[in-house]
Formats: sequence, C-alpha cells, structure tokens
Amino acid sequence: MLEVDGLRKRYGDTVALDGVSLTVRSGEMFGFVGANGAGKTTTMRIVMGVLSSDGGEVRWNGDRAGHETRRRFGYMPEERGLYAKMRVGEQIEYFGRLGGMSPQAAKRSADELIERLSLTERRGDDVDSLSLGNQQRVQLAVALIHGPELLVLDEPFSGLDPIAVDALAGVLAERKAAGVPVVFSSHQLDLVERLCDSVGIIKAGRMIAGGTVEELRARESRKRLRIVVTGALPGWADRLPGEIVAKTDRTFGDGARYDEVILTPTDDQEALRVAAQAGQVQHFAWQEPSLAEIFREVVA
Amino acid sequence: MNAVTLVARREIDVRSRTKGFRYGLLVTAVLVAVLAALPKLIGGGSDYTVGLAGQQADRLQAALAAQAAQAGDVTVTVTRYADEAAARKGVEDGDVEAAVVDNATVIAKTVVGDSLAVMLDTAHRAVATEANLTAAGLDPAKVGQAQRVGPMKAVSLNGTGEDATIRRVLAMVIVVILFMLLIQVCTWVAMGVVEEKGSRIVEILLTAVRPWQLLAGKVIGLGVLGLSQVIVIAVVGLAAAQITGAVPDLPEGTYGVVAGAVVWFLLGYVFYAAMFAAIASLVSRQEELSGVLTPATMLLMASYLVGFVAAGAPDSTLTHVLSIVPPFSAMVMPVRSAVVDVPLWETGLAAGLMIVAAVAVLLLGGRIYQRAVLRTGARVKWREALASAS
Repeated sequence: MLEVDGLRKRYGDTVALDGVSLTVRSGEMFGFVGANGAGKTTTMRIVMGVLSSDGGEVRWNGDRAGHETRRRFGYMPEERGLYAKMRVGEQIEYFGRLGGMSPQAAKRSADELIERLSLTERRGDDVDSLSLGNQQRVQLAVALIHGPELLVLDEPFSGLDPIAVDALAGVLAERKAAGVPVVFSSHQLDLVERLCDSVGIIKAGRMIAGGTVEELRARESRKRLRIVVTGALPGWADRLPGEIVAKTDRTFGDGARYDEVILTPTDDQEALRVAAQAGQVQHFAWQEPSLAEIFREVVA
Repeated sequence: MNAVTLVARREIDVRSRTKGFRYGLLVTAVLVAVLAALPKLIGGGSDYTVGLAGQQADRLQAALAAQAAQAGDVTVTVTRYADEAAARKGVEDGDVEAAVVDNATVIAKTVVGDSLAVMLDTAHRAVATEANLTAAGLDPAKVGQAQRVGPMKAVSLNGTGEDATIRRVLAMVIVVILFMLLIQVCTWVAMGVVEEKGSRIVEILLTAVRPWQLLAGKVIGLGVLGLSQVIVIAVVGLAAAQITGAVPDLPEGTYGVVAGAVVWFLLGYVFYAAMFAAIASLVSRQEELSGVLTPATMLLMASYLVGFVAAGAPDSTLTHVLSIVPPFSAMVMPVRSAVVDVPLWETGLAAGLMIVAAVAVLLLGGRIYQRAVLRTGARVKWREALASAS
C-alpha cells in the first residue's frame, strides 16, 4: 500500500505542493487528475525519490520509503527518456539489471515484455529508429522489466493511438490484477473513468476531491435531469421548473421537432408533467455526471 | 554486479560500438604504425652500381665494399672497365650510376646522388691518403691505428646523459597523448551527462541508482575505454617500430616514466572528468555544452601548453613550480620526470597535492551534479549550483 502523507514543496516563492495526501491500496488503480501545473508531476517525482520534499512523507507498506524500496518501484516519467543509441532489447535488460535482476532473469523478463508489447522485430534496433508509439512501448517495458511492486506512470497515455491505448490499458490491468497498485496521471478523463478504481483531483497543490468515481458522483449535490421531447411547440421548455443548464433543439425537414434539455429541477414530478404535456417524452432520467463534468465542477 | 559496474559496462559497450570510436581508433592506429615505420620506409636500404677503371681500382673496390658492409643496408655492385672510354659507355648506357677513373675522375650522366657521392668521396680519400702515406715511407696500418680515437664521454650533471634527445621526444609524446586523451574522454563524460539529463532518462536512472553511482560508473567506464585506447595505440606503435627496426634503444627508466605517466593520467582524469561532469550537469542541451565548458577546456589547454614548454625547459623555475601545483602537475610532472631526474619528495608532494585537488573536485562536482542534473530547462546558474551544493 502506498501512502502519501502531507507532502509540501516550494520552488522559491511558488508553492507547488501544499499538503498532498493520497492512498493507493494493493490491486487498486488510481487516477491522478488535475490541470497543468497543479502538482501531479511534482507529487510523482517525490514518490519516486527523484525530487526531495520540503515536508510530509511517502510510506510503502507502512514504512518510510527509502532508496532500496524505490528500486522496486516502476516509473514512467512525464518527459520520456531512453538512450537513443542503444538497442531496444539491451536497453530494457539494462534497466532490469539496475533494478537488481540477475542477467538471466533480466533477459527472460525482457523477452516476455518484448513479446507482449509486439516489439520482437525491433529488438536489435536502436531506439531512435523507432516510431514514437514504439518508443513509448519501450518506455513502458523499462518501467515494468523488474516486476515492480508499485507502478507510477506520468501521462502514460498521451500521444498514443486508440489501439496502443488499449494495449497499454491491458498491460496495466494485468499488473493491477496481480496485486500491484498503479498510479497514473492523465488528462483523458474518460479513460481515467473507465480504468480507475479511485480518482484524486488536485488543484494548486492541494487534493480537492478523492474517492471512487461513484463516491464523487454521490458528492455531486446538484442533480440534473436529461429530458428529450419530440413534437413540442417552441417555448415549451420555459415552463419547466428549475434552471436549464443546456438546451438543444432541432427542426427536421418535415417540420418534426426534437428538443433536448438538461435541467436542474426544483420539482422533478412537475417537470415530467410539463414535458408530457408539451410532446412525446423520449427520454426522462437523472443524468450521471461524467468524470469530466465532476472535474470541471470541482476545479472551477 | 553493483550499480557502478553496470553503469561503467554500459558506457564501454555503447561507446565502443559507435562508428566514431571504431574508425577513430583504426585511423589513429594506422597513423601511428605508419609514423613509427616511416624512418625505415623513407630511409630504407639502397643499391648502387659503380664502374671502376684505371689505377687503384682494386683498392677503391675494397674501400667501397668495406663502407657498404659497415652501413648494413647498402649494397654496392662494382663493374670493372678496361679504360675510360669503356667506363663512359657504361655510364651512358645506364649500366652503372657513376664511374671512377684512375681514382681521380668521377663520371656521371648529370650529377652523382648525395649518398653515393659521399661514399665515393670517402673511398677516394681513403685510397689516396693510403697511397700518399706509402709514398712518404709510412705504414698506412700504423697511421690508421694512431688515428683511431674514441669519442669523448658525455657527462650530464642532471643525470640524463646522452639520451637527452630521446627523453625529450618521449616527454613530448607523453604530453600530447595525455592532453588528447584527457580532452577526448572528459568530453565523452560531459556529453554523456547532457545526454542523460537532456533526454530525462536520468529520472528513471536515479530511481534505481544513486547520483554518485551514476557519475562514478560513467567516469570509470569511459576512463577504462580511454586507457585501453592508449594501450592499443602504444602496442601498435611499438610493434610497428620493432618490426621495421626503427626504434632506437630506449633510455634507461623509460618504462618507469611511462608507468608514471599512466598514474598521472588517472589523477588528472579524475580531476577533469569530475569538473566536466559537474559543469555539464548545468545545461540540458548539447549545443550549450561547449560554451559552458569553455573555462574547463581553457584550463586543460593551459596545462597542455605549460607541459609542452616544460618539455623544452625541464630545469626552469616555472617548470619546477608548475610540476607541483595541481592541476598543472598532472601534465608537467610526467614531462619533467621524463627529461630529468626528479627528487622523490617533489614527486610525492606533487602527487599528494593532486590527489587532494582531485578528491576536492570530485566531492564538490558530485554535489553540483546531484543537485543540477534533475533541474532541466534553463541553464542552472553557477551561483545556484554552488549555493545548493554547500
């Protein structure tokens, strides 16, 4: 279990982290979400020990994480880094050796990953001759080679095509299933929502929300109705009780009308009656806010 | 295998595989081999053809044969002619390069080549002198014995004796090799540091190894590579010289001087490599490197020039002082001890001071590196790096 407890970090007069805490349990995938400059990368760097904090603590299974502990973590930094003039296979094995593996174990593990990430044909090529997508796979292999006990990935999905996204998601799910806590940051909130068991939202160096996506939804106080009505006369929506958040209406060639309204109702039953009187109700349901909507709401 | 060894091995593997390294080494080795063999290739053995006619031809032939035997790699083929006319025809037809008639006239198509002219002239004098002595009623053999005087024995007060020239050449070679090696390998270190910092791979590396391990592995690996390069060059050079027989007898103590130069290389290398690495860690792009390295490169250049001057003036006060002051001592002391005998205490003092300096630079450089290597982006200012290092 990874526990990050009250991390503080200043750069000169700028406060980068102001008491960041989070917990990721074994077999849990944690999505780290926040605007650019909110403190995600700084937090991850401190977790990995490449940056020192001004205060707070990083604990692994209850003990303060030191250099030896962190050697067993896997890390993918935000700015990708590989030796351009080193062969793919050698490079992956090298990081396995640095992670404490024997030559044979490193070779075996590299073989597996190369196979799993479809890099077999590029094994003997220099890294700089690979496409960006393939370099990203090598980067992932470097993070995974030594069978890490914790995975910390900074923006692992950025720049990947949908197929590569699925491949990466599959590999992460495997590790998670094997009991490895996975932390990753991303701006692709639909992806975070799909993959993560829990989410942390950071803003200006503070964690402002956290929990499972369901918990975040439950916290969402303002409930919204999505209403779709066809064949209603223009202006019907003005009679709806409550605040209209969004409204779309379309008139088709044959004069048929289609209205979609997102409403924060003061009286949901009254709203249903109004809609039913106005036309044919096609859809009338509470709207589940997406993570993106929750994020905008919380961060605003 | 520990982290330092792993890092060092990677440096050796990857660097020795680059085309630049391989071709560079190959070209250097060929160049050294050619240089070592050059004296023999140019100077090499010669064959001369000489025609003889008239008086004293027998005596001349004997004198020429004696000279050829002494020179070793020279042969003189003699053709005897009945008279001057026959000798002229022989020269004209190209049967012989030159012909001597009556030990008084030399006949050639144009002029006689320098070396052959000297041989013919020497033979001519010897035979003529002999004839004159006999005519004066003296025994040429006795006169010859009386004239046989050994060379004066050279005594050099600082103990280098007659090998001074060879020793001076050795000193020059040492200073040039030390300089080239230091600047090359230290530049590799600096480029390697920037490569890792610029590509941010250093972030991943530092989760697995400590900064000092990364730095030490890099410095050791590249140092080993540089040293093995010198060994290859030295072996090729010596072998080429040996095969062609161009190498003169090396002066006494040469091997000690060379071994000393290797030790001084190591001390100088630790000093400059740590300095180059620390400076390189301040920047994130290779283009910024040469600019930021200028002061360190200048220091190394200055050492080199001083070393060169020292090879020419091994007894000057400047050489004396700089052979003890680090970091100049790394280049000046091996040069000085190649040419003159240096008191042991001076060598010891110079080495002690250099070790202190190298350790100081290593510690300070290591700390600067540790702080600066993760600060990517704009160049880290000297003041900040030093402040955060203290």
